[in-house]
Amino acid sequence: MPVNSRFVDELRAIVGSDALVLSPEGRLAYECDMHTLYKGQPDVVVLPSRVDEVQRIVRLCRRERVPIVPRGSGTGLAGGAMAPTGGVMVAMNRMNRVLEIDIPNRCAVVEPGLINLWLTREVAARGYFFAPDPSSQMVSSIGGNVSTNAGGPHCLKYGITTNHVLGLTIVGSSGEPLTLGGKVWDRPGYDLTGVAVGSEGTFGLVTSITVRLTHTPEGVKTILALFATIDAASEAVSAIIAAGIVPAALEMLDDVVIRAIEAGVGAGYPGDAGAVLLIELDGPRAEVEMEAERAVALSRARGALSVRVARDEAERALLWKGRKEAAGAIGRIAPSFLLQDAVVPRSKLPQIMREMQAISARHRVLFANVFHAGDGNLHPLICYDDRDPDELHRAKAANEELLRACIDMGGSVTGEHGVGVDKAQHLGLQYADADLNFMYRLRRVIDPEGLMNPGKLLPSHPACGEGFRARRPVLPEGAWV
Amino acid sequence: MAVSVRSLEKAFASLVGRERVVDDPVKLGGATIDGCVPRFIVRPAAVDELSGIVALACEERLAVIPRGSGSALELGAPPSRLDVVIDLRDLDRVLEYNPDDLTASVEAGVTLGALAKLLSDRRQFAALDPPGGTSRSLGGITATNAVGPLACRYGAMRDRLLGVRFVQADGVVTWGGAKVVKSVTGYDIPKLMVGALGTLGVLAELTLRLHPMPEHEASWLASCDTLDAAGTLVAAILESTLQPNRVEIVSRGALEALRLGAAVAAVAVSIASVEPAVAAQEESLRSLVRANGGTLNPASPGWWDRYGDVVMSSRVTIRIGTLPSEVARTVGAVERLLGPAVAVVGSAATGTLHALLSECQVQAMASAVGELRAMLAPFGGHATITRGPRALREAIDPWGPTDPGALALMRGLKDEFDPHRVLNPGRFVGGL
Ligand SMILES: Cc1cc2nc3c(=O)[nH]c(=O)nc-3n(C[C@H](O)[C@H](O)[C@H](O)COP(=O)(O)OP(=O)(O)OC[C@H]3O[C@@H](n4cnc5c(N)ncnc54)[C@H](O)[C@@H]3O)c2cc1C
Repeated sequence: MPVNSRFVDELRAIVGSDALVLSPEGRLAYECDMHTLYKGQPDVVVLPSRVDEVQRIVRLCRRERVPIVPRGSGTGLAGGAMAPTGGVMVAMNRMNRVLEIDIPNRCAVVEPGLINLWLTREVAARGYFFAPDPSSQMVSSIGGNVSTNAGGPHCLKYGITTNHVLGLTIVGSSGEPLTLGGKVWDRPGYDLTGVAVGSEGTFGLVTSITVRLTHTPEGVKTILALFATIDAASEAVSAIIAAGIVPAALEMLDDVVIRAIEAGVGAGYPGDAGAVLLIELDGPRAEVEMEAERAVALSRARGALSVRVARDEAERALLWKGRKEAAGAIGRIAPSFLLQDAVVPRSKLPQIMREMQAISARHRVLFANVFHAGDGNLHPLICYDDRDPDELHRAKAANEELLRACIDMGGSVTGEHGVGVDKAQHLGLQYADADLNFMYRLRRVIDPEGLMNPGKLLPSHPACGEGFRARRPVLPEGAWV
Repeated sequence: MAVSVRSLEKAFASLVGRERVVDDPVKLGGATIDGCVPRFIVRPAAVDELSGIVALACEERLAVIPRGSGSALELGAPPSRLDVVIDLRDLDRVLEYNPDDLTASVEAGVTLGALAKLLSDRRQFAALDPPGGTSRSLGGITATNAVGPLACRYGAMRDRLLGVRFVQADGVVTWGGAKVVKSVTGYDIPKLMVGALGTLGVLAELTLRLHPMPEHEASWLASCDTLDAAGTLVAAILESTLQPNRVEIVSRGALEALRLGAAVAAVAVSIASVEPAVAAQEESLRSLVRANGGTLNPASPGWWDRYGDVVMSSRVTIRIGTLPSEVARTVGAVERLLGPAVAVVGSAATGTLHALLSECQVQAMASAVGELRAMLAPFGGHATITRGPRALREAIDPWGPTDPGALALMRGLKDEFDPHRVLNPGRFVGGL
């Protein structure tokens, strides 16, 4: 391993001692992201403050052939910001300035370490917000959001991170900053910005981001509908979408989650409710009023036990409280859980929920569901006790089976959390060899030496670096001489 | 292996059937692109056939130009060579339409109009309205990243394309993305295909996200006495809480082409929602227009179609990317540089403008485009000649300059995925 004392001295010369984490205890904090099953300590963590430092770090690593692992806030759920093969972790937290806010053009330029919610706080008084809102938005970095192409509850209406990124600066393995896109739309050429978003650090270190700012909507209405069964709630979701309503958010909680919440913080959900549907509408006031009435009526028509509409901001916060506390509440009833992120076409929700019950029974594991129902993005928490290896084993088997069921229904392996090391081996479910081959080659063009976040995003395979072999079509025979 | 024309024709025929291979000189002459006459037109009826055609072309080092509706063949530089035009109009099946999921998968030759017709039964739409769009193929719209006024609210093809099946330059059929509205599994390959002019793969199948059609829509034209006033009005609309789905700036020349007479500039706005919300917003719009010294009138029926026709009927089109805050100034610069005959229309919200001319004096136009680019460059704007005579696109690079670092990467991608320059050779950015 070339991370020896001379290498560390060179790093120190670039960033100074206070921007290096060398001690084993210090590095322990960086050995995983929030998917704590996957651990890998970097040999050294470096926290640059400026682009030129990033460049020099990259050049040094390249010269010494040391892998680079980018890290934002480490809230990832896929095993992305961890170092399976050691190397240098570049943590972007100190590069967290807002570089520019351009209201007339409704965009901002920020550094990657900036916390998502801080940007919205910065522009809220002027009537704008940054639309991508992962539930982790109080802690996750915009650089991390960009690299994972994060989603969130309100992405149903507003789109995911990629729909809000206009441009990027990336320091790739050459060490030179590359400017892609910018404030002006649609620069001629390949949309490299679009491909870089969601590339999970494999293209290099994102050092600045031009994001779109969105107008704060004129009106908001939040509705909480309780249903006896998750089936009925899923039907209501379909009915709302079929009525031509695109809510800002459409979130669902199942009975397991409801009971866990009520046992903990409490959100006033009745114990007999089998599902909670949280519907948020926003936009021009008159539109919101009318759509809210319709959504209420549709929920009732699908058998809602009760429907509550928030009258003010305080009530709105109350209705969201349960949703926001969900993961924490599950944490209190189950020592550990695996978190899935598969997607099904939203019309298949009732079907996949029934399938899930069958899988849960078959493997004797508890599923708890809290998810973005509007876009079919499931987030079952598959509970297990980490002191019991058999339970972990069963949880993993159930996870795998559910994933396959989602893909069989025409879905996707991951809707927003990303691949990391966690789902790399599952890409084959969604893609054929030719498709993966294309992605390998794309990665190799951009990072020929494989320096950037190795082992993430794509499955490893025997012919390392060569990619899967694509089968070429058979040419007609005997037609020519 | 070098192959004679006779045997090539046989080979193509064995892939698609004799009746789908054209080698009749008259018909080939009709398919001339920038003076290059193809040796064959081949018309696949299935993705497998398309794959075979491209594989054969690659093996024989032939140059291929995929053609959809044929409306954007003057986009980019003239091809460096041409052997085969692949006519994609028979890839015209809608493969899946899932109204409850708001998604549809179509073959690349399906026209926007055909899709719209299907979706309208369920009051849904693709929310794409590039000029001339109804007769254009969705593959062509994707490859050229054609945008229209609705991009103001709904974004463009990059925000719509969920999944894509394409045929790589060596014939390998490849899929990227997903058929669901949300997926981050692996790289976002659909993004790479939008606006790539088929230079990394021939588009075969597209999965699109759809939108519900708003219940009610109304459109207006706000006439202004000066271009500055139009600029101020646009800024006021975009700063307000109005939720327009189109905000277009219309120059004097464009108003004349539309026979709308005397104003110096106008802002065309449409708002779509439930009826009470449209009415409420109309009130706000009215007061904004009044405060900015304009006159608001309802747009006449069919207005947006005629608007698109104006763009389609030009001899020269320059697509301009500018900052929303610079829209009025950019229109002014275009009028100054290209003279009073120019018509300029485009989205004030996104900054995508089209400068339109009915005739072309090559040298004068080339130098005007050069000056326009110089004016736009400081804030990252750009100007692309998307239609015009070959001579113009030889006198000046139709794409304009590209950042050298980004261009190097683009070249790297082209070298990797189409090393023999089979797909649309020479037409794209940087001569790719
Ligand atoms: C409670 C909780 C709720 C969550 N809710 C959501 C949700 O609703 N939606 C959602 O999408 N996700 C959610 N997440 C997951 C996570 O917050 C997101 O993936 C987030 O985008 C990660 O940001 P981060 O700054 O923590 O990145 P990290 O975890 O540090 O890194 C994520 C990936 O990006 C790379 N990376 C980070 N910064 C850079 C950079 N500057 N340049 C290049 N690569 C970089 C890393 O190498 C890694 O591969 C949640 C997580 C938690 C813990």
